[in-house]
Amino acid sequence: MSRPPAARTHTRRRPGLWFALLTAALALVCIASLMFGAGSTGPITSLATLLHAPAGDGGWASSGEARFVIESLRGPRTIVGVLVGAALGVAGALLQAVTRNPLAEPGLLGVSAGSVLAVALALAFGESAATLRVPVAQLGALAGCMAVLAAARLRGVGNDPVRLVLAGAVLSGVLDALTYMILLVDERTADEIRFWIVGSLAGRRLTDVTALLPGLAIAAAIVVAIARPLAALALGERVATGLGHRPRLVRFMVVIAVALLVGSATAIAGLIAFVGLVAPFAARALAGPDVRRTLWLCLPAGALMVVTADIVSRLVVRPSELPIGVLTALIGAPVLVAVVRLRRLPSL
Amino acid sequence: MFFNRSRPPRVSGIALLCGVALLVVSTVGAARTLDTKYGDVEVDGTPERVVTLYEGALDAAVALGATPVAAIATRGGDGVARYMSDRVGAIDIVGTARETNIEAVVAQRPDLILASSRLTQKQYALLSKIAHTIVPANDTFASDAWQQETRLYGAALGRGEQAESLIAQYEARAAAIRARVSDDTSAKLVRWMPQGPLVMADIIFSSRVLADAGFDVDDDALVPQGRPHSDPLSLENVDRIDSDWLFLATLNADGEKALETARTSPAFTRLNVVKRDQVVPVDGQLWTSASGPIAAEAILDDIAGALGVDAPR
Repeated sequence: MSRPPAARTHTRRRPGLWFALLTAALALVCIASLMFGAGSTGPITSLATLLHAPAGDGGWASSGEARFVIESLRGPRTIVGVLVGAALGVAGALLQAVTRNPLAEPGLLGVSAGSVLAVALALAFGESAATLRVPVAQLGALAGCMAVLAAARLRGVGNDPVRLVLAGAVLSGVLDALTYMILLVDERTADEIRFWIVGSLAGRRLTDVTALLPGLAIAAAIVVAIARPLAALALGERVATGLGHRPRLVRFMVVIAVALLVGSATAIAGLIAFVGLVAPFAARALAGPDVRRTLWLCLPAGALMVVTADIVSRLVVRPSELPIGVLTALIGAPVLVAVVRLRRLPSL
Repeated sequence: MFFNRSRPPRVSGIALLCGVALLVVSTVGAARTLDTKYGDVEVDGTPERVVTLYEGALDAAVALGATPVAAIATRGGDGVARYMSDRVGAIDIVGTARETNIEAVVAQRPDLILASSRLTQKQYALLSKIAHTIVPANDTFASDAWQQETRLYGAALGRGEQAESLIAQYEARAAAIRARVSDDTSAKLVRWMPQGPLVMADIIFSSRVLADAGFDVDDDALVPQGRPHSDPLSLENVDRIDSDWLFLATLNADGEKALETARTSPAFTRLNVVKRDQVVPVDGQLWTSASGPIAAEAILDDIAGALGVDAPR
């Protein structure tokens, strides 16, 4: 007899190796992110500054400017990009596992739209865009998640991946319409939200990042705790119950984690769609369907996608920058089409 | 009356000004033919019910002593711009710059509609059935766009002389400020976003006023052709907006607060103009949306205040 399928998958796919490779690629992209930008500080100067920075000898004529650009502009946005990408990638994998749908993506299903609407409401009531509204965005994402799960439980939606995406598109449409209504009524809000809504990592500070850390830490703890029951849930609710897990509790915890992750990411970076689709898709292709492995791979895969998109966004329309959401959509839309056409994973 | 009648012209060349006005208007109140973007328009008598579909037209009409019955909302608000609100009182609003509510215009029963040079042929065909519609023929971003528009609206309203005196007053005052500004004093007009500054083009109305007041307002080609209003700039390139004076427009009434917010960005505080403390928070409704003689005078007020120059109206 041949070896059991699970064991064969494990040896052939080598998730540990892929995790190491993706992380190494992420490290390289992060260094590139410090080197390239829309400004006059070129890659050579940046690299020289980076290599000299630890020694602190500052012999370069432009090192003051280059150090400022790297430390205050490119450094923070790289860190934000890694966090946002990892959060969105993991959120996508969680949402896909709990809805058993490979197309469940926070941006496509209206979770991000809920987050944006909540922030638009907060702005309309007098908050300033400069102060971060992490809890508001997380609450909005939570409402979006609830709506998604409700839609997934409707007859005919839950077991058809494409229908859930359609339901999500409708929900996103409604939430976007409400957001735009607020923006029309109060154009001061429109003014503050205009550049945030399309997604950008520019101008974020490290103090903004620290505001995200509690939410991300709680989400990480939840994910570690529920990874095993979530994998059991993939075998069916009865099997999971038989193994001693409580499916309802698991689903509830997943929703909380997704809301925390998507809310944090949206609060700091605006609407960035498709990362939660592409990262888990790549992770499954590399490591197989077991959610315990894909979750790990989603961390570097999501970060890699966002940081790469951010670098490109700085270089294509110099001296301006492109909204990062545009670029992730350019990468993500073909992947969405590919997943729908493959249809090898009608349910997870 | 909610408005102040403009002062009689005290310029010595009064006869000349009247002569210029007479080229357009034969006699106040009599039939006159106006050269507009969509052909000649014949206007008779003194219009009673004037609807303005352009912020510059409202500004000019009120400055000329007329009382428009309806206007459009300013960008970023649901009424007329703050600088105009106490001059027009509770005026009816018939849309925004982007979209006119034709039904509301009809309901006003206007006898004259003053529109912007950007009004399309299609909109013109519709509006001109309601009333005489005056569309300026000049290039929207001509260096003397608002002066040309004020002359045209003045002629339409039968107030050509007032138009000339308003323009002369403005030009005298701009010259007085210009005399106090040293050569090669640069200025930039931006809105500050957390992602980076939004640079306003050097061809928009307030940039023209800055230029008249003696500033060099070259936008350094940061606003590309075809994007006539403004363009966002990467934070890595903020040094390109560094200049002798930086005018920081905000759509909020509270400009100081916007300045405080901008100061939390390390890229902003590194600018020399910020270190020298020559950043002037200004009202975005006035500086980035408005046009016309009242707006021009108000912007001169802001400039004079920033420079500490005494330039009475």
